[in-house]
Amino acid sequence: MIGITALVPPEVLYASGKRPLDLNNLVPESKINPREKLCAWTAIWRELVIHGGLDLEGLVVVAGGDCHNAIVDGEKVELSGLPTCYFLYPFDGSPQLLEAQLEDLVEFLGGIKERSRFEIVRALKKRALALDKRRVRGEVAASDGFLLQVSTSDMLGSLEAYEERLGRMEASDETVEFKHRIALLGVPPIYPDLHAFLQSLGLHVVYDEMPYEFIRLTGSSLSGISRSYAGYTFAGKIQRRLGFIEKELKRRRVDAVIHFQQFACHHRLEDPIMRERLNRGLGYPYLGIEGDMPSKLPEQVKLRLEAFAERLGD
Amino acid sequence: MEIMGLDVGSRAAKSALLVGRKWSWGVADIMAWRDLLSSGAEVVATGYFRKKVPHTLVVTEITAAIHGVRHFIRGDVDAIVDIGAQDTKVIDLATGEFMMNDKCSAGTGAFLEFLAGYFGLGMEELQEYHFRAGRTAEINNTCAVFAQSEVVSRLVEGYTREEVIKGIHHAFARRIGQLIPQDADRVAFIGGVVKNRGVIDAFEKELGIRALVPREPQVVNAVGALEYYMARRGGPP
Ligand code: SF4
Repeated sequence: MIGITALVPPEVLYASGKRPLDLNNLVPESKINPREKLCAWTAIWRELVIHGGLDLEGLVVVAGGDCHNAIVDGEKVELSGLPTCYFLYPFDGSPQLLEAQLEDLVEFLGGIKERSRFEIVRALKKRALALDKRRVRGEVAASDGFLLQVSTSDMLGSLEAYEERLGRMEASDETVEFKHRIALLGVPPIYPDLHAFLQSLGLHVVYDEMPYEFIRLTGSSLSGISRSYAGYTFAGKIQRRLGFIEKELKRRRVDAVIHFQQFACHHRLEDPIMRERLNRGLGYPYLGIEGDMPSKLPEQVKLRLEAFAERLGD
Repeated sequence: MEIMGLDVGSRAAKSALLVGRKWSWGVADIMAWRDLLSSGAEVVATGYFRKKVPHTLVVTEITAAIHGVRHFIRGDVDAIVDIGAQDTKVIDLATGEFMMNDKCSAGTGAFLEFLAGYFGLGMEELQEYHFRAGRTAEINNTCAVFAQSEVVSRLVEGYTREEVIKGIHHAFARRIGQLIPQDADRVAFIGGVVKNRGVIDAFEKELGIRALVPREPQVVNAVGALEYYMARRGGPP
Protein backbone atom coordinates (compact mmCIF):
# COMPACT_ATOMS: atom_id res chain seq x y z
CA MET A 1 0.00 0.00 0.00
CA ILE A 2 1.02 3.57 -0.71
CA GLY A 3 0.00 6.22 1.79
CA ILE A 4 -1.28 9.55 0.47
CA THR A 5 -1.74 12.69 2.53
CA ALA A 6 -4.13 14.68 0.36
CA LEU A 7 -5.52 14.47 -3.15
CA VAL A 8 -3.17 12.44 -5.37
CA PRO A 9 -4.86 11.15 -8.54
CA PRO A 10 -6.05 7.61 -7.69
CA GLU A 11 -6.11 7.00 -11.46
CA VAL A 12 -2.29 7.10 -11.45
CA LEU A 13 -1.86 5.04 -8.30
CA TYR A 14 -4.12 2.26 -9.50
CA ALA A 15 -2.66 2.29 -13.02
CA SER A 16 0.76 1.85 -11.43
CA GLY A 17 -0.53 -1.30 -9.79
CA LYS A 18 -0.59 0.23 -6.30
CA ARG A 19 -3.26 0.31 -3.61
CA PRO A 20 -3.55 3.83 -2.18
CA LEU A 21 -4.44 4.53 1.44
CA ASP A 22 -5.61 8.06 2.19
CA LEU A 23 -4.25 8.54 5.69
CA ASN A 24 -6.72 11.33 6.37
CA ASN A 25 -9.55 8.87 6.38
CA LEU A 26 -8.05 7.34 9.53
CA VAL A 27 -7.71 10.68 11.35
CA PRO A 28 -11.25 11.60 12.52
CA GLU A 29 -11.64 8.36 14.47
CA SER A 30 -8.05 8.28 15.73
CA LYS A 31 -7.21 8.58 19.44
CA ILE A 32 -3.61 9.65 18.87
CA ASN A 33 -2.55 12.78 20.73
CA PRO A 34 0.55 13.96 18.86
CA ARG A 35 3.33 15.69 20.74
CA GLU A 36 4.36 18.21 18.14
CA LYS A 37 1.66 19.63 16.02
CA LEU A 38 0.32 22.50 14.03
CA CYS A 39 -2.53 20.97 12.07
CA ALA A 40 -3.95 17.82 13.69
CA TRP A 41 -4.42 16.12 10.31
CA THR A 42 -0.75 16.13 9.34
CA ALA A 43 0.52 15.46 12.87
CA ILE A 44 -1.77 12.46 13.29
CA TRP A 45 -1.02 10.86 9.94
CA ARG A 46 2.66 11.37 10.67
CA GLU A 47 2.31 9.46 13.95
CA LEU A 48 0.16 6.82 12.29
CA VAL A 49 2.81 6.22 9.66
CA ILE A 50 5.81 6.26 11.99
CA HIS A 51 4.28 4.36 14.91
CA GLY A 52 0.93 3.04 13.77
CA GLY A 53 2.05 -0.28 12.33
CA LEU A 54 0.50 0.44 8.91
CA ASP A 55 1.77 -1.77 6.17
CA LEU A 56 3.07 0.90 3.79
CA GLU A 57 5.69 0.59 1.08
CA GLY A 58 5.86 4.31 0.46
CA LEU A 59 4.26 7.70 1.09
CA VAL A 60 3.19 10.42 -1.30
CA VAL A 61 3.06 13.77 0.49
CA VAL A 62 1.14 16.59 -1.10
CA ALA A 63 3.62 19.27 -0.23
CA GLY A 64 2.39 22.24 -2.19
CA GLY A 65 -0.78 23.69 -3.53
CA ASP A 66 -3.59 22.59 -1.30
CA CYS A 67 -1.70 21.86 1.93
CA HIS A 68 1.23 23.90 3.20
CA ASN A 69 1.73 22.14 6.49
CA ALA A 70 2.64 18.68 5.34
CA ILE A 71 6.25 19.13 4.27
CA VAL A 72 7.98 18.78 7.63
CA ASP A 73 5.74 15.95 8.75
CA GLY A 74 6.51 14.26 5.45
CA GLU A 75 10.21 14.73 6.04
CA LYS A 76 9.90 13.19 9.48
CA VAL A 77 8.31 10.18 7.88
CA GLU A 78 11.12 10.06 5.34
CA LEU A 79 13.71 10.26 8.13
CA SER A 80 12.02 7.30 9.78
CA GLY A 81 13.04 5.32 6.70
CA LEU A 82 9.92 5.12 4.53
CA PRO A 83 10.41 5.98 0.83
CA THR A 84 8.67 9.32 0.41
CA CYS A 85 7.72 11.31 -2.65
CA TYR A 86 6.71 14.98 -2.61
CA PHE A 87 3.91 15.98 -4.92
CA LEU A 88 3.20 19.64 -5.64
CA TYR A 89 0.23 21.23 -7.35
CA PRO A 90 1.25 24.29 -9.35
CA PHE A 91 -0.31 27.43 -7.91
CA ASP A 92 -0.86 28.90 -11.36
CA GLY A 93 -2.83 25.84 -12.47
CA SER A 94 -0.42 24.97 -15.28
CA PRO A 95 -1.17 21.52 -16.78
CA GLN A 96 2.41 21.25 -18.10
CA LEU A 97 3.93 21.66 -14.64
CA LEU A 98 1.42 19.23 -13.21
CA GLU A 99 2.23 16.67 -15.89
CA ALA A 100 5.91 16.90 -14.93
CA GLN A 101 4.92 16.23 -11.31
CA LEU A 102 2.83 13.26 -12.37
CA GLU A 103 5.74 11.84 -14.37
CA ASP A 104 7.95 11.99 -11.27
CA LEU A 105 5.19 10.33 -9.29
CA VAL A 106 4.87 7.54 -11.84
CA GLU A 107 8.61 6.99 -11.63
CA PHE A 108 8.42 6.79 -7.82
CA LEU A 109 5.62 4.24 -8.16
CA GLY A 110 7.63 2.12 -10.58
CA GLY A 111 5.91 2.98 -13.85
CA ILE A 112 2.44 2.55 -15.34
CA LYS A 113 1.48 -1.12 -15.41
CA GLU A 114 -2.21 -1.22 -16.20
CA ARG A 115 -3.26 1.65 -18.38
CA SER A 116 -6.85 0.38 -18.52
CA ARG A 117 -7.31 1.39 -14.89
CA PHE A 118 -7.38 5.07 -15.88
CA GLU A 119 -10.64 4.40 -17.60
CA ILE A 120 -12.01 2.16 -14.83
CA VAL A 121 -11.45 4.81 -12.17
CA ARG A 122 -12.95 7.45 -14.40
CA ALA A 123 -16.09 5.38 -14.91
CA LEU A 124 -16.47 4.85 -11.16
CA LYS A 125 -16.16 8.56 -10.56
CA LYS A 126 -18.90 9.15 -13.10
CA ARG A 127 -21.20 6.99 -11.02
CA ALA A 128 -20.21 8.91 -7.88
CA LEU A 129 -21.14 12.12 -9.73
CA ALA A 130 -24.57 10.72 -10.49
CA LEU A 131 -25.04 9.96 -6.79
CA ASP A 132 -23.97 13.51 -5.99
CA LYS A 133 -26.82 14.76 -8.20
CA ARG A 134 -29.26 12.50 -6.37
CA ARG A 135 -28.04 13.85 -3.07
CA VAL A 136 -28.80 17.39 -4.23
CA ARG A 137 -32.32 16.19 -5.01
CA GLY A 138 -32.63 14.83 -1.47
CA GLU A 139 -32.37 11.16 -2.39
CA VAL A 140 -29.09 10.43 -0.61
CA ALA A 141 -28.32 11.34 3.02
CA ALA A 142 -25.56 13.94 3.32
CA SER A 143 -23.50 11.79 5.68
CA ASP A 144 -23.49 8.89 3.19
CA GLY A 145 -22.77 11.16 0.25
CA PHE A 146 -19.93 12.81 2.12
CA LEU A 147 -18.37 9.50 3.14
CA LEU A 148 -18.51 8.23 -0.41
CA GLN A 149 -16.83 11.37 -1.72
CA VAL A 150 -14.00 11.43 0.80
CA SER A 151 -13.37 7.76 0.25
CA THR A 152 -12.96 8.44 -3.46
CA SER A 153 -9.49 9.80 -2.72
CA ASP A 154 -8.21 6.23 -2.30
CA MET A 155 -11.30 4.33 -3.44
CA LEU A 156 -11.09 2.33 -0.24
CA GLY A 157 -7.82 0.80 -1.43
CA SER A 158 -9.78 -1.54 -3.67
CA LEU A 159 -11.72 -0.70 -6.81
CA GLU A 160 -13.97 -3.68 -6.18
CA ALA A 161 -14.85 -2.58 -2.65
CA TYR A 162 -15.50 0.94 -3.92
CA GLU A 163 -17.71 -0.32 -6.69
CA GLU A 164 -19.64 -2.40 -4.23
CA ARG A 165 -20.27 0.62 -2.06
CA LEU A 166 -21.44 2.57 -5.10
CA GLY A 167 -23.77 -0.25 -6.00
CA ARG A 168 -25.28 -0.31 -2.53
CA MET A 169 -25.89 3.40 -2.57
CA GLU A 170 -27.35 3.33 -6.06
CA ALA A 171 -29.80 0.65 -5.02
CA SER A 172 -31.13 2.38 -1.93
CA ASP A 173 -33.98 4.81 -2.30
CA GLU A 174 -34.27 7.31 0.42
CA THR A 175 -36.05 10.59 0.90
CA VAL A 176 -34.24 13.13 3.01
CA GLU A 177 -36.48 15.56 4.88
CA PHE A 178 -34.91 18.97 5.26
CA LYS A 179 -35.58 22.68 5.59
CA HIS A 180 -32.48 24.20 4.04
CA ARG A 181 -29.71 23.32 1.62
CA ILE A 182 -26.25 23.86 2.94
CA ALA A 183 -22.82 24.12 1.35
CA LEU A 184 -19.94 22.97 3.52
CA LEU A 185 -16.86 24.84 2.38
CA GLY A 186 -13.23 24.42 3.32
CA VAL A 187 -11.19 21.35 4.16
CA PRO A 188 -13.24 18.33 5.25
CA PRO A 189 -14.44 18.59 8.86
CA ILE A 190 -12.45 16.80 11.54
CA TYR A 191 -15.74 16.05 13.35
CA PRO A 192 -17.10 12.73 12.10
CA ASP A 193 -20.68 13.49 13.18
CA LEU A 194 -21.07 16.93 11.58
CA HIS A 195 -23.26 15.92 8.65
CA ALA A 196 -25.57 13.81 10.80
CA PHE A 197 -25.94 16.61 13.34
CA LEU A 198 -26.78 19.12 10.62
CA GLN A 199 -29.33 16.69 9.30
CA SER A 200 -30.96 16.52 12.74
CA LEU A 201 -31.40 20.30 12.52
CA GLY A 202 -33.06 20.03 9.13
CA LEU A 203 -29.96 21.23 7.30
CA HIS A 204 -29.08 19.07 4.30
CA VAL A 205 -25.51 19.42 3.07
CA VAL A 206 -25.79 19.41 -0.71
CA TYR A 207 -22.23 20.49 -1.43
CA ASP A 208 -19.05 19.33 0.27
CA GLU A 209 -16.53 21.56 -1.37
CA MET A 210 -13.28 19.64 -1.22
CA PRO A 211 -14.69 16.09 -1.38
CA TYR A 212 -16.54 17.08 -4.54
CA GLU A 213 -13.17 17.77 -6.14
CA PHE A 214 -12.26 14.14 -5.47
CA ILE A 215 -15.05 12.86 -7.68
CA ARG A 216 -14.99 15.64 -10.23
CA LEU A 217 -11.35 15.54 -11.36
CA THR A 218 -10.28 12.65 -13.55
CA GLY A 219 -8.86 11.70 -16.94
CA SER A 220 -7.99 8.69 -19.02
CA SER A 221 -4.36 9.52 -19.82
CA LEU A 222 -1.55 11.28 -18.01
CA SER A 223 -2.05 14.44 -20.00
CA GLY A 224 -5.81 14.27 -19.60
CA ILE A 225 -5.39 13.85 -15.85
CA SER A 226 -2.97 16.78 -15.79
CA ARG A 227 -5.46 19.03 -17.55
CA SER A 228 -8.25 18.04 -15.22
CA TYR A 229 -6.35 18.16 -11.92
CA ALA A 230 -4.74 21.46 -12.90
CA GLY A 231 -8.20 22.84 -12.18
CA TYR A 232 -8.17 21.52 -8.60
CA THR A 233 -9.65 24.56 -6.94
CA PHE A 234 -7.97 24.16 -3.56
CA ALA A 235 -4.51 24.33 -5.05
CA GLY A 236 -4.92 27.58 -6.92
CA LYS A 237 -5.84 31.17 -6.35
CA ILE A 238 -8.73 31.95 -4.05
CA GLN A 239 -10.52 34.00 -6.69
CA ARG A 240 -10.58 31.08 -9.09
CA ARG A 241 -11.87 28.87 -6.30
CA LEU A 242 -14.56 31.37 -5.33
CA GLY A 243 -15.73 31.64 -8.91
CA PHE A 244 -16.16 27.89 -8.94
CA ILE A 245 -17.94 27.85 -5.57
CA GLU A 246 -20.31 30.54 -6.74
CA LYS A 247 -21.42 28.44 -9.68
CA GLU A 248 -21.92 25.39 -7.49
CA LEU A 249 -23.99 27.35 -4.99
CA LYS A 250 -26.33 28.45 -7.74
CA ARG A 251 -26.46 25.08 -9.44
CA ARG A 252 -27.33 23.34 -6.18
CA ARG A 253 -29.72 26.06 -5.03
CA VAL A 254 -27.85 26.43 -1.77
CA ASP A 255 -29.53 28.48 0.98
CA ALA A 256 -26.60 29.03 3.32
CA VAL A 257 -22.91 28.24 3.68
CA ILE A 258 -20.80 26.90 6.51
CA HIS A 259 -17.04 27.30 6.31
CA PHE A 260 -15.14 24.71 8.29
CA GLN A 261 -11.67 25.86 9.34
CA GLN A 262 -8.93 23.73 10.75
CA PHE A 263 -6.69 25.10 13.48
CA ALA A 264 -3.24 26.05 12.09
CA CYS A 265 -4.28 25.56 8.48
CA HIS A 266 -3.46 28.38 6.07
CA HIS A 267 -6.90 27.99 4.48
CA ARG A 268 -8.30 29.64 7.61
CA LEU A 269 -6.79 32.90 6.45
CA GLU A 270 -9.05 32.76 3.42
CA ASP A 271 -12.14 33.08 5.56
CA PRO A 272 -12.48 36.89 5.41
CA ILE A 273 -12.12 36.83 1.62
CA MET A 274 -14.77 34.15 1.32
CA ARG A 275 -17.08 35.87 3.76
CA GLU A 276 -16.76 39.15 1.90
CA ARG A 277 -17.74 37.65 -1.42
CA LEU A 278 -20.32 35.08 -0.38
CA ASN A 279 -21.95 36.83 2.57
CA ARG A 280 -21.57 40.54 2.02
CA GLY A 281 -21.43 40.29 -1.75
CA LEU A 282 -23.94 37.60 -2.61
CA GLY A 283 -26.00 37.59 0.57
CA TYR A 284 -25.61 33.95 1.58
CA PRO A 285 -26.05 33.44 5.34
CA TYR A 286 -22.58 32.39 6.42
CA LEU A 287 -21.21 30.61 9.45
CA GLY A 288 -17.60 29.86 10.28
CA ILE A 289 -16.81 26.90 12.53
CA GLU A 290 -13.48 25.59 13.71
CA GLY A 291 -11.89 22.37 14.71
CA ASP A 292 -8.59 21.25 16.10
CA MET A 293 -8.27 17.69 17.39
CA PRO A 294 -10.59 14.97 16.12
CA SER A 295 -13.61 14.42 18.36
CA LYS A 296 -17.36 14.27 18.28
CA LEU A 297 -18.85 17.73 17.80
CA PRO A 298 -18.16 19.80 20.93
CA GLU A 299 -21.15 21.47 22.60
CA GLN A 300 -19.93 24.91 21.63
CA VAL A 301 -19.87 24.03 17.94
CA LYS A 302 -23.29 22.44 18.23
CA LEU A 303 -24.57 25.65 19.79
CA ARG A 304 -23.30 27.69 16.87
CA LEU A 305 -24.89 25.33 14.40
CA GLU A 306 -28.19 25.34 16.24
CA ALA A 307 -28.24 29.11 16.41
CA PHE A 308 -27.49 29.19 12.69
CA ALA A 309 -30.45 26.88 12.04
CA GLU A 310 -32.67 29.15 14.14
CA ARG A 311 -31.50 32.09 12.12
CA LEU A 312 -32.42 30.37 8.88
CA GLY A 313 -35.91 29.77 10.29
CA ASP A 314 -38.50 27.17 9.36
CA MET B 1 -51.54 29.75 30.28
CA GLU B 2 -48.37 31.27 31.63
CA ILE B 3 -45.04 31.09 29.87
CA MET B 4 -41.66 31.53 31.43
CA GLY B 5 -38.33 32.22 29.75
CA LEU B 6 -35.65 30.30 31.64
CA ASP B 7 -31.96 30.85 31.00
CA VAL B 8 -29.91 28.13 32.64
CA GLY B 9 -26.29 29.17 32.23
CA SER B 10 -23.09 27.71 33.55
CA ARG B 11 -23.22 29.68 36.82
CA ALA B 12 -26.64 31.17 37.36
CA ALA B 13 -30.22 30.58 36.29
CA LYS B 14 -32.39 33.49 35.28
CA SER B 15 -36.10 33.62 34.63
CA ALA B 16 -38.59 35.98 33.05
CA LEU B 17 -42.32 35.68 33.48
CA LEU B 18 -45.04 37.60 31.71
CA VAL B 19 -48.43 37.73 33.37
CA GLY B 20 -50.90 39.88 31.53
CA ARG B 21 -48.70 42.80 30.60
CA LYS B 22 -46.52 42.62 33.65
CA TRP B 23 -43.01 41.26 33.47
CA SER B 24 -41.15 39.88 36.44
CA TRP B 25 -37.80 38.22 36.71
CA GLY B 26 -35.62 36.22 38.99
CA VAL B 27 -32.02 35.12 39.38
CA ALA B 28 -30.81 32.07 41.28
CA ASP B 29 -27.72 30.01 41.70
CA ILE B 30 -27.44 27.33 39.04
CA MET B 31 -28.12 24.57 41.55
CA ALA B 32 -31.33 26.27 42.62
CA TRP B 33 -32.88 26.77 39.18
CA ARG B 34 -36.01 24.94 40.30
CA ASP B 35 -36.80 27.75 42.73
CA LEU B 36 -37.45 30.03 39.77
CA LEU B 37 -40.19 27.89 38.28
CA SER B 38 -43.71 29.11 38.59
CA SER B 39 -46.25 26.37 38.96
CA GLY B 40 -48.37 25.95 35.88
CA ALA B 41 -46.07 27.98 33.64
CA GLU B 42 -44.63 26.37 30.54
CA VAL B 43 -40.94 26.90 30.00
CA VAL B 44 -38.99 28.22 27.03
CA ALA B 45 -35.46 27.25 27.90
CA THR B 46 -32.17 28.76 26.81
CA GLY B 47 -28.55 28.68 28.01
CA TYR B 48 -26.04 25.84 28.39
CA PHE B 49 -28.43 23.52 30.16
CA ARG B 50 -31.48 24.38 28.07
CA LYS B 51 -32.05 20.81 27.04
CA LYS B 52 -31.58 19.47 30.56
CA VAL B 53 -34.55 21.25 32.10
CA PRO B 54 -38.21 20.47 31.36
CA HIS B 55 -39.31 22.71 28.50
CA THR B 56 -41.94 23.37 25.87
CA LEU B 57 -39.42 24.90 23.49
CA VAL B 58 -35.67 25.47 23.47
CA VAL B 59 -33.78 28.28 21.84
CA THR B 60 -30.05 28.97 21.78
CA GLU B 61 -28.80 31.84 23.88
CA ILE B 62 -27.65 33.53 20.68
CA THR B 63 -31.12 33.81 19.21
CA ALA B 64 -32.50 34.60 22.67
CA ALA B 65 -30.02 37.47 23.03
CA ILE B 66 -31.17 39.03 19.76
CA HIS B 67 -34.81 38.95 20.85
CA GLY B 68 -33.96 40.06 24.38
CA VAL B 69 -31.94 43.06 23.29
CA ARG B 70 -34.78 44.15 21.02
CA HIS B 71 -37.06 44.04 24.04
CA PHE B 72 -34.88 46.31 26.16
CA ILE B 73 -33.25 48.66 23.70
CA ARG B 74 -35.07 50.89 21.28
CA GLY B 75 -33.37 51.94 18.08
CA ASP B 76 -30.61 50.37 16.07
CA VAL B 77 -28.06 48.06 17.58
CA ASP B 78 -25.07 47.01 15.47
CA ALA B 79 -23.76 44.24 17.68
CA ILE B 80 -24.44 42.41 20.90
CA VAL B 81 -21.72 41.37 23.33
CA ASP B 82 -22.83 38.73 25.80
CA ILE B 83 -20.21 38.25 28.48
CA GLY B 84 -20.77 35.06 30.37
CA ALA B 85 -18.89 33.26 33.09
CA GLN B 86 -17.44 30.70 30.66
CA ASP B 87 -17.56 32.31 27.25
CA THR B 88 -18.23 35.55 25.46
CA LYS B 89 -20.36 35.78 22.37
CA VAL B 90 -20.42 38.62 19.92
CA ILE B 91 -23.32 38.82 17.50
CA ASP B 92 -22.97 41.02 14.43
CA LEU B 93 -26.51 42.13 13.73
CA ALA B 94 -25.66 43.41 10.25
CA THR B 95 -24.65 39.99 8.97
CA GLY B 96 -26.18 37.70 11.59
CA GLU B 97 -22.74 36.14 12.18
CA PHE B 98 -21.57 35.48 15.67
CA MET B 99 -18.15 34.96 17.13
CA MET B 100 -17.45 33.13 20.30
CA ASN B 101 -14.54 33.23 22.61
CA ASP B 102 -14.71 29.89 24.31
CA LYS B 103 -11.22 28.41 24.13
CA CYS B 104 -9.71 30.12 27.15
CA SER B 105 -10.87 32.23 30.03
CA ALA B 106 -9.42 35.47 28.63
CA GLY B 107 -12.30 37.70 27.68
CA THR B 108 -14.83 35.89 29.87
CA GLY B 109 -16.21 36.56 33.31
CA ALA B 110 -13.81 33.94 34.66
CA PHE B 111 -10.85 36.19 33.81
CA LEU B 112 -12.16 39.07 35.92
CA GLU B 113 -13.15 36.73 38.68
CA PHE B 114 -9.69 35.25 38.80
CA LEU B 115 -8.08 38.66 39.12
CA ALA B 116 -10.69 39.94 41.58
CA GLY B 117 -9.83 36.85 43.62
CA TYR B 118 -6.16 37.81 43.49
CA PHE B 119 -7.00 41.13 45.17
CA GLY B 120 -9.39 39.43 47.57
CA LEU B 121 -12.29 41.42 46.11
CA GLY B 122 -15.79 40.45 45.06
CA MET B 123 -16.79 41.07 41.44
CA GLU B 124 -19.19 43.81 42.52
CA GLU B 125 -16.34 45.78 44.10
CA LEU B 126 -14.26 46.10 40.91
CA GLN B 127 -16.32 49.01 39.62
CA GLU B 128 -15.57 51.25 42.61
CA TYR B 129 -11.86 50.65 42.30
CA HIS B 130 -11.98 51.37 38.57
CA PHE B 131 -13.51 54.80 38.98
CA ARG B 132 -11.16 55.75 41.81
CA ALA B 133 -8.07 55.16 39.68
CA GLY B 134 -5.96 58.11 38.58
CA ARG B 135 -3.97 56.41 35.86
CA THR B 136 -4.48 53.20 33.92
CA ALA B 137 -1.78 50.60 34.46
CA GLU B 138 -0.82 48.90 31.24
CA ILE B 139 -1.75 45.23 31.16
CA ASN B 140 -1.06 43.60 27.81
CA ASN B 141 -1.66 39.94 28.44
CA THR B 142 -5.15 38.59 28.52
CA CYS B 143 -4.13 35.09 29.43
CA ALA B 144 -5.10 34.91 33.10
CA VAL B 145 -1.79 33.35 34.09
CA PHE B 146 0.41 35.86 32.27
CA ALA B 147 -1.83 38.74 33.30
CA GLN B 148 -1.35 37.85 36.92
CA SER B 149 2.41 38.14 36.65
CA GLU B 150 1.98 41.43 34.84
CA VAL B 151 -0.28 42.63 37.66
CA VAL B 152 2.47 41.84 40.13
CA SER B 153 5.02 43.77 38.02
CA ARG B 154 2.76 46.83 37.83
CA LEU B 155 2.23 46.78 41.61
CA VAL B 156 5.99 46.53 42.12
CA GLU B 157 6.42 49.53 39.82
CA GLY B 158 4.18 51.52 42.15
CA TYR B 159 0.76 51.47 40.51
CA THR B 160 -2.12 51.35 42.96
CA ARG B 161 -4.63 48.52 43.13
CA GLU B 162 -7.21 50.86 41.59
CA GLU B 163 -4.97 51.63 38.63
CA VAL B 164 -4.14 48.00 38.07
CA ILE B 165 -7.81 46.99 38.17
CA LYS B 166 -8.63 49.70 35.66
CA GLY B 167 -5.80 48.35 33.50
CA ILE B 168 -7.31 44.88 33.72
CA HIS B 169 -10.66 46.22 32.54
CA HIS B 170 -8.96 47.86 29.58
CA ALA B 171 -7.08 44.68 28.66
CA PHE B 172 -10.37 42.81 28.92
CA ALA B 173 -12.12 45.29 26.63
CA ARG B 174 -9.31 45.15 24.06
CA ARG B 175 -9.44 41.38 24.02
CA ILE B 176 -13.19 41.22 23.41
CA GLY B 177 -12.90 44.20 21.08
CA GLN B 178 -11.08 41.97 18.60
CA LEU B 179 -14.33 40.10 18.09
CA ILE B 180 -16.52 43.18 17.67
CA PRO B 181 -17.12 44.23 14.05
CA GLN B 182 -14.97 47.23 13.22
CA ASP B 183 -17.77 49.34 11.83
CA ALA B 184 -20.06 48.74 14.82
CA ASP B 185 -21.07 51.92 16.60
CA ARG B 186 -24.00 51.09 18.88
CA VAL B 187 -23.13 47.97 20.81
CA ALA B 188 -25.36 46.30 23.42
CA PHE B 189 -23.68 44.62 26.36
CA ILE B 190 -25.44 41.90 28.27
CA GLY B 191 -24.67 39.31 30.94
CA GLY B 192 -24.03 39.68 34.66
CA VAL B 193 -20.47 40.95 34.17
CA VAL B 194 -21.59 44.20 32.52
CA LYS B 195 -23.21 45.40 35.74
CA ASN B 196 -19.62 46.41 36.41
CA ARG B 197 -19.65 49.92 34.91
CA GLY B 198 -15.87 49.95 34.94
CA VAL B 199 -15.89 47.36 32.18
CA ILE B 200 -18.35 49.42 30.15
CA ASP B 201 -16.23 52.54 30.63
CA ALA B 202 -13.20 50.63 29.35
CA PHE B 203 -15.10 49.42 26.27
CA GLU B 204 -16.18 52.93 25.35
CA LYS B 205 -12.71 54.37 25.78
CA GLU B 206 -10.86 51.54 24.05
CA LEU B 207 -13.19 51.06 21.09
CA GLY B 208 -14.82 54.45 20.64
CA ILE B 209 -18.28 52.90 20.57
CA ARG B 210 -21.59 53.71 22.23
CA ALA B 211 -22.18 51.04 24.84
CA LEU B 212 -25.83 50.29 25.48
CA VAL B 213 -26.58 48.42 28.67
CA PRO B 214 -30.13 47.19 29.24
CA ARG B 215 -31.75 47.83 32.59
CA GLU B 216 -31.44 44.19 33.64
CA PRO B 217 -28.42 42.90 31.72
CA GLN B 218 -28.50 39.52 33.40
CA VAL B 219 -32.01 38.50 32.42
CA VAL B 220 -31.91 39.60 28.78
CA ASN B 221 -31.66 36.05 27.45
CA ALA B 222 -34.50 34.81 29.65
CA VAL B 223 -36.70 37.65 28.38
CA GLY B 224 -35.45 36.94 24.86
CA ALA B 225 -36.44 33.28 25.09
CA LEU B 226 -39.95 34.35 25.95
CA GLU B 227 -40.00 36.95 23.17
CA TYR B 228 -38.79 34.29 20.72
CA TYR B 229 -41.70 32.09 21.73
CA MET B 230 -44.15 34.91 21.17
CA ALA B 231 -42.63 35.82 17.82
CA ARG B 232 -43.07 32.23 16.67
CA ARG B 233 -46.60 31.92 17.98
CA GLY B 234 -47.55 35.37 16.72
CA GLY B 235 -48.34 37.06 20.05
CA PRO B 236 -48.51 36.66 23.82
CA PRO B 237 -49.61 33.27 25.13
S1 SF4 C 1 -6.29 21.15 7.23
FE1 SF4 C 1 -4.91 22.47 6.09
S2 SF4 C 1 -2.91 22.21 7.04
FE2 SF4 C 1 -4.21 20.52 7.71
S3 SF4 C 1 -3.79 18.89 6.27
FE3 SF4 C 1 -5.55 19.98 5.47
S4 SF4 C 1 -4.72 21.54 4.08
FE4 SF4 C 1 -3.04 20.76 5.35
